[in-house]
Amino acid sequence: MKKKFWRCFVCNDIHYGLKPPEICPTCKVKNAYVEIAASEAKVITGAAAEGPFTRDDFIRAIRALAEGQEFMVNPDAARLETLFDGVFNNEQNHGLKFCPCRLRTKEFEEDLKIVCPCNFLIHETYKGVDKGECWCGMFVKR
Amino acid sequence: MAKLLMFHGRECPHCRAMMPLVEQLEKETGLVLEKHEVWHDEKNADLMRSYRPVLTPQCGGQLRVPTFLNTETSAAVCGEIPYEKLKEWAQK
Repeated sequence: MKKKFWRCFVCNDIHYGLKPPEICPTCKVKNAYVEIAASEAKVITGAAAEGPFTRDDFIRAIRALAEGQEFMVNPDAARLETLFDGVFNNEQNHGLKFCPCRLRTKEFEEDLKIVCPCNFLIHETYKGVDKGECWCGMFVKR
Repeated sequence: MAKLLMFHGRECPHCRAMMPLVEQLEKETGLVLEKHEVWHDEKNADLMRSYRPVLTPQCGGQLRVPTFLNTETSAAVCGEIPYEKLKEWAQK
């Protein structure tokens, strides 16, 4: 099944997925999403685009992700700097924030699995491991 | 083609941690590991990708660094591993 683009006709939130949210996360209206073309989604999101996503934006985003979860951002600041160098270099050189401790296969769908943050919850370095961490160590269990 | 390869990433902390162990191994055993950085050298990346069918079953279904590969036996270990485990792989 192919993912599609959806637009909330009340507040113009955009969703990409097999199905849209039943309740819009922004305006809370139920059943407000209509399927749209990728090109329309590009126009709407393109107009909203601001400046580049900086390192500070990224740190903020991953800390927000970790809030209230069983994992946290690694407190080792030096390690984080190395990893941030990696993900930002990889984005610049290869198009997305690929994990610096993996290698992309050059198959687009497969490589989405290693965009940072990845789904490390299923990795053997994290799942069921006492002091578990994602493969590169950006996220660690609390 | 060299027998023992190490695929690594410049910004991979696990790879950096393994470098002194690799140095120690080379000094102790006289073995040489041919090192290939994969995120800043596309030829090295293509080389690692060419071994994908051999590597992924041994490394959690993914191409990961650091990965140590014996090109003759196809035996591979990956990640930050203890010296003994690295030596065991190198000498098989």
